[in-house]
Amino acid sequence: MTESNPWAAQWFKAHQQFVDAWSDMAKSGVPGNSSQSDLWAQSFDLWRKACEGKAQPDMELAIRKCMDMGKEYFAMAEQVSKGLTTGANPVDAINQWLEQMKQSLQQFSGTPGFNGAGVNDFMKQWFAPNASWQEMVAGLTPMNQAMWQMPGMNTSVFNLGETIDPLGKVLEAPGVGYFREPQEKQQKGLQLALEYQEANFKFNQAFLNIALESIQGFQNRLLGLDGDNIPKSLRELYDLWVVVSEEHYCEFAMSEEYQTLYGDMVNRLMIMRRHYGEIADDFLRAMNLPNTREIDTMQERLQQVRRENFALKKEIKEIKAMLGQINARTAAAAKNAPAAKAAPVLKKAAVKKAVARKAKVTRAKAGA
Amino acid sequence: MSNTPFRSDQVVDELVQFNQNLSKGVKNLLDADEISAGVTPREEIYAEDKLKLYRYQPSIGVVQNKIPTLIVYALVNRPYMADIQENRSTIKGLLDTGQDIYLIDWGYPDRADKYLTLDDYINGYIDRCVDVMRERHGVDKVNILGICQGGVFSLCYTTLHQDKVKNLITMVTPVDCKTPDNMLSHWVQQMDIDAIVDAMGNLPGEMLNWTFLNLKPFQLMGQKYVSMVDIISDEKNVKNFMRMEKWIFDSPDQAGEAFRQFIKDFFQQNKLVEGGLKIGEHPVDIGDINIPILNIFAEQDHLVPPDASRAMRKLVGSKDYTELSFPGGHIGIYVSGKAQATVTPAISDWLNKRC
Repeated sequence: MTESNPWAAQWFKAHQQFVDAWSDMAKSGVPGNSSQSDLWAQSFDLWRKACEGKAQPDMELAIRKCMDMGKEYFAMAEQVSKGLTTGANPVDAINQWLEQMKQSLQQFSGTPGFNGAGVNDFMKQWFAPNASWQEMVAGLTPMNQAMWQMPGMNTSVFNLGETIDPLGKVLEAPGVGYFREPQEKQQKGLQLALEYQEANFKFNQAFLNIALESIQGFQNRLLGLDGDNIPKSLRELYDLWVVVSEEHYCEFAMSEEYQTLYGDMVNRLMIMRRHYGEIADDFLRAMNLPNTREIDTMQERLQQVRRENFALKKEIKEIKAMLGQINARTAAAAKNAPAAKAAPVLKKAAVKKAVARKAKVTRAKAGA
Repeated sequence: MSNTPFRSDQVVDELVQFNQNLSKGVKNLLDADEISAGVTPREEIYAEDKLKLYRYQPSIGVVQNKIPTLIVYALVNRPYMADIQENRSTIKGLLDTGQDIYLIDWGYPDRADKYLTLDDYINGYIDRCVDVMRERHGVDKVNILGICQGGVFSLCYTTLHQDKVKNLITMVTPVDCKTPDNMLSHWVQQMDIDAIVDAMGNLPGEMLNWTFLNLKPFQLMGQKYVSMVDIISDEKNVKNFMRMEKWIFDSPDQAGEAFRQFIKDFFQQNKLVEGGLKIGEHPVDIGDINIPILNIFAEQDHLVPPDASRAMRKLVGSKDYTELSFPGGHIGIYVSGKAQATVTPAISDWLNKRC
């Protein structure tokens, strides 16, 4: 596809030139600064945008993931090498980098609405579960996407202190008059949304704490290494970081705390979604349009009818087989006993009666 | 740590190499054609709703086992993992060693399938497929090979229809869902499954995917793609990698009622072990199974821990019970070269001795 898209090919070339220039500069010992890191990030973003819509959908997704991870990997490299170029020994350089990451994360501790946004590129991996959760939830929620941008609904702008108190007064206002019930349902919906946000916030805070612990764990692990176990390259350092992070995550994910936080977050989201589904149903009913409740009823009945249908088909097949056997036996007996009076083949009327009796029993069973 | 040979120029060289590989990889991805899934020729034998029963074309010149084998795959993924590419196809391996292979493709359930229950799947769909096979081959019994959740279905089916099953093979099948190392089970213990099904209708495949990826997020969402950069810089590897990637993200939605019962009965209440399981109106006790069983599990399985599968040994009534432990993971057991060399021939050998 790059053959048919010379613009993309030029991009690859330009990007490679950029890397070569950066490489020369970095090797010449020019100290790193924040603009280099920004350039890396911008380069990757532009590259990604250049590739959008140019590949098969499966490939495009893979490219996006490669780019995202490439960006995070480069962020790590850039931060580590920055320490190295300032003349520090490798231990100090890595420790300095880890300390910076700790400090950077600590500033988010207790920050209302924290959802991983603002964390440096490399540590974003710790918040990938939440980022992908938010992405998935946005795709699954029944509400208009605009609702998620309202104050208090979008975790990125969610502020507990500023939002819950004023809104709490609104939510507690008693419903009055003809629209009392719809008003109460809307109030309950907002309350459920805030409860979900709260659960989501607690989940993220717990991740933040574990991420901080994992950095400390990584430092301890590095200090305890010697000889062949010491990472000899950036990649080995990264792989070790993955191992240590996964260990901390696994311990957390198998804890009672995680079970409760995760269960609570999922349950609150689902309870909220169910509630908004009911509100949507009420609205559709008022418009004399079919709603989920009605379709569910039809589908459930249809499924039951299909089960009964299959059961009846099966019984008819069995009865037919049984009759076939009886007829075959009777015919064989008649053939083998020519001297005796041939036994009458089961008459059609008798067959009909037998089938009717069997069908009656089946209907009675199905009705029960 | 003082011995580390980390130098600034070394880091830069690594980055340059990484960038070159990434450039080549992206180019290869942009140039790649659409990924096909499933390689062995097959014929549709029976269809019902979204289900299709396929029979795979037998290998030429191979003496075939007279008893056909039905593969029952999990609802949560697509079955082409067992036939991902020609040199890594469990199905092809079984055909080449004389098995006559059928497979149930469950399709992609939608809202109209919301009320499908485990009873519909096990005593309905599977039973009708087995009947089709019995009739076609003029045999009373068939072999069943259940994979993962499909293994659980196969255990239940065999308990209830033992007169139709000659031999049962289960692969990476969770039996005891409450072993201490079962992360998936640990996560769902406090979940309100009724709220989930009531809210969502069917369970979206995206949610399942999210769950599976988060069992090992650093490896599956991060490290894999850093390593991928090295792999896809070689054009030949792109398609193989992408076939796996396609399979991982190809998760059908789950019929709501079946999902509700599966999670409650198996994961939350562990009824295969604790007892009290019912499929439809029929009580299921796998202690009633007395036909030959081959139970295969993977030692590094992060989805179905080996102990979850091993628990079967003490629960089934079969005197002819065999275990096969594979030194790999949940997916490697179908696609790795090691699995093709050991697991597939072992299945055929075991079957041929009993048919």
